[in-house]
Amino acid sequence: MKTDILNVRNIGISAHIDSGKTTLTERILFYTNRIHAIHDVKGKDGIGATMDSMELEKERGITIASAATYCEWKGHEVNIIDTPGHVDFTIEVERSLRVLDGAVLVLCSVGGVQSQSITVDQQMKRYKVPCIAFVNKCDRSGADPQRVISQLRDKLGHNAVAMQMPIGLEADHQGVIDLVTMKAIYFDGDNGETLRVEDIPADLRDQALEQREILVDAASLYSDELTEAILEEQEISEALLIEAVRQGTLTRELTPVFMGSAYKNKGVQPLLDAVTQLLPSPKDIQNEALNMSDSEAAVVLSCSTGDPLVSLAFKLEDGAYGQLTYIRVYQGSLAKGDTVINIRTGKKIKIGRLVRMHANQMEDIETIPAGYIGAMFGIDCASGDTFAAPGTDLTMTSMFVPDPVISLAINPKDHKAEINMSKALNRFTKEDPTFKTHVDEETGETIISGMGELHLEVYLERMLREYKADVETGKPRVAYRETITRQAEFNYIHKKQTGGAGQFGRVAGFIEPVADEEFVFENKITGGSIPTQFIPSCEKGFRKCLAKGPKLEFPVTGVKITINDGAAHSVDSSDTAFQAAARGAFLEGYAKAAPVIHEPIMKVVVETPTEFQGAVMGSLNQRRGIILGTQDESHMCVVEAQVPLAEMFGYSTVLRSLTQGKAQFTMEFATYKQVPQSVAEELVKKAAELKKKVA
Amino acid sequence: MLKKDLMLRNPLRILEQEEKGFLGKTEFGAVLARAGVGKTAFLVQLALNSLLNSKNVLHISLETPVDKVDLWYEEVFRNIADQYQINPATQPFEYILPHRFIMTFKVEGFSVPKLEERLTDLTEQGIFMPQLVLIDDLPFGEQTDALLAELKDLARKLELPIWFTVLTHRHETPADDGLPIQIANVAELFEVIIQLQPVENKIDIKLVKGRNPDAANASIQLDPATMLIVDSSK
Repeated sequence: MKTDILNVRNIGISAHIDSGKTTLTERILFYTNRIHAIHDVKGKDGIGATMDSMELEKERGITIASAATYCEWKGHEVNIIDTPGHVDFTIEVERSLRVLDGAVLVLCSVGGVQSQSITVDQQMKRYKVPCIAFVNKCDRSGADPQRVISQLRDKLGHNAVAMQMPIGLEADHQGVIDLVTMKAIYFDGDNGETLRVEDIPADLRDQALEQREILVDAASLYSDELTEAILEEQEISEALLIEAVRQGTLTRELTPVFMGSAYKNKGVQPLLDAVTQLLPSPKDIQNEALNMSDSEAAVVLSCSTGDPLVSLAFKLEDGAYGQLTYIRVYQGSLAKGDTVINIRTGKKIKIGRLVRMHANQMEDIETIPAGYIGAMFGIDCASGDTFAAPGTDLTMTSMFVPDPVISLAINPKDHKAEINMSKALNRFTKEDPTFKTHVDEETGETIISGMGELHLEVYLERMLREYKADVETGKPRVAYRETITRQAEFNYIHKKQTGGAGQFGRVAGFIEPVADEEFVFENKITGGSIPTQFIPSCEKGFRKCLAKGPKLEFPVTGVKITINDGAAHSVDSSDTAFQAAARGAFLEGYAKAAPVIHEPIMKVVVETPTEFQGAVMGSLNQRRGIILGTQDESHMCVVEAQVPLAEMFGYSTVLRSLTQGKAQFTMEFATYKQVPQSVAEELVKKAAELKKKVA
Repeated sequence: MLKKDLMLRNPLRILEQEEKGFLGKTEFGAVLARAGVGKTAFLVQLALNSLLNSKNVLHISLETPVDKVDLWYEEVFRNIADQYQINPATQPFEYILPHRFIMTFKVEGFSVPKLEERLTDLTEQGIFMPQLVLIDDLPFGEQTDALLAELKDLARKLELPIWFTVLTHRHETPADDGLPIQIANVAELFEVIIQLQPVENKIDIKLVKGRNPDAANASIQLDPATMLIVDSSK
């Protein structure tokens, strides 16, 4: 294993679903000699692309798990994380971006910048990942890389600049012109493995010169040397231009754009050159950890192998030999036989086998130095855990994990399925922090919850395929919440004098709605009307009421409770008495505070050919959606809407039939909003029926 | 509560006519200013004024994407809520959303037949019935004179009032009647013309054309810090 950190690239391939990123990864692996045959994503030959390692992904033609793979290109070691494109799995994308140093943003030359590209781009911005763009599918009818470049500028705000120019488009796509070397590149051989470099065709020369000028102009902002060379009208060397573009890319101020067609084996090798030339090595990136002993102060990590180890487990997989944990080492090095600490649990762990992954195959290694990505076997941990050298109390920044918005009851069909189901759930919850599971105390059913319908569906299918756990599912349930809409006072006396010790406590104050907070408790008691030692009892009593709201037993949020008066008894007052008094006070105040039900509202973005715009808007409107707006983009149109999650079940089928399969949509959680009266009544009715059934 | 507060304290009322509000059905209004002075902020306040009166507003933008237009509304709404000390938990921004619809077009792709087609999509299915239309970023000049005439026809047909923003330039000499040259040719199409003029630390809101005689002397301004309309006489 080589250890020149400057020659290491940890990159992700991020894109909209179906823009061809898995095909691109497949070609990269082929040209870097990691695989010896090319397979299609949708597996016409029944084998499927190498990166789509899960059966299910092969079948659906989508990438769910971010398999990490390793390859070499011209003396550089490249770790590629293949990221999922669907919004339901964005935690996977975010987790991958956390460990990447750079990314290739793949865009479809026909579809251009689509809504999912926008989400992925926002995530890249959040983690400050420098990126280069690859405009794929230049062989498709309607291909227009220049339009995609303008969309990168307009829609994503990238300072996008073309590094290449296509030689022919659509069926006539033959190769690309490199605007740095000013040469035409053609891709010969059965699989485009032989590069033929020639002079630029005469009819494209002027256009190429013009494009190069734009490139040089854009790059000159990041290099004084280049600016000087331009001013003095000197020859601009390739190295000088590349270095300037690299500087712009590293600071995310410039996005170099490459193009080609991965499927037709065009433009992939120059893209690999760009990965090594333009994207950062781990040393170019500053990573920070949080010091647990110093109230989580940020500490800059050194990327040196000599310093104490800090590493992050970013993905788990169940393999034939037990749990496989993908890990990125940020500082120090992780070697076989080392003892490290899992910072979250504080447990000491001895490192067994270390491997480097290539999709489904692996290669044993002795050590993973700083800046590298590898995997370890037999370590019990959760994804997102930090492993550090003993004595180091550093943790990598915890990732933002949204609350689940949808849940589903599942019941195993037989005893065997029950055992397998629990194994599967244990694995999935460890792998994916947005996937949660619990047992409903009343019905005894196992409830799984996640970020969307597809999210849960994929886990159910994985359960069946990978764990042979056959389960029956209930109807999806939306995570409703309760809250109040106005201020109300309470003054409750809890008194119990029958049998045993007496209980006494009076709690008075008011309850009011609060924005952006789940629960706020304020103590304004003066003069000790409630003794200080019982204030926490009151808070505890109130908090206990939040789990199940009095209205429909949904969790209560957005409530502020202020207590300002009360009374205690020298003998009969106790922790229990004040908890009970608080419960009574809550129920009294809550009933007067006009309680309402809130439901999760999703931001839905539909991209559709213009002719179906009316039908699409109608379908969203029927689903209680509020259409925020429409964006006309020549032949395509984007409709943005806010729609209650409860109404979105099965929408993909509806949309397909409405638009002859030509529209697509993405959906992500936006906010919670009050449900209309009619729907609330329906919910009350359902809850009553359910109660009857349980009873 | 926000609605009541605004209606009582809204400085925009000075510019309004008693029964009609700002613009009557089929009427055109223009907000003129140089770049960055606050045309969109002013327009959004005109919209919010209608939205809080439960009137449906169609906001058409020819440059800015839907998300960004929405941000304008959120920002101005938040500033107004701050100014009137409204609790966001009781008056969330979402309450106005059903009354607002944003449409964006590429400048070159915008045409009256296209707009009419979109409007029919909305109204025929009962999705949205606009009562006020705002058109932001339409470049005024010779090439749009015909478009404006077509829009006037559409406004008459659908009985809709329409507000426009008009970008003016410092270096251009006004027309003979004192109006910026962008609007001079088409001024007869407009019933109300408002100009935003930066004066020292404030931005004056001047009624250049309108039927409310008292309004010409009104002392309302845009506060450059919040971009909110304020009554400077108070």
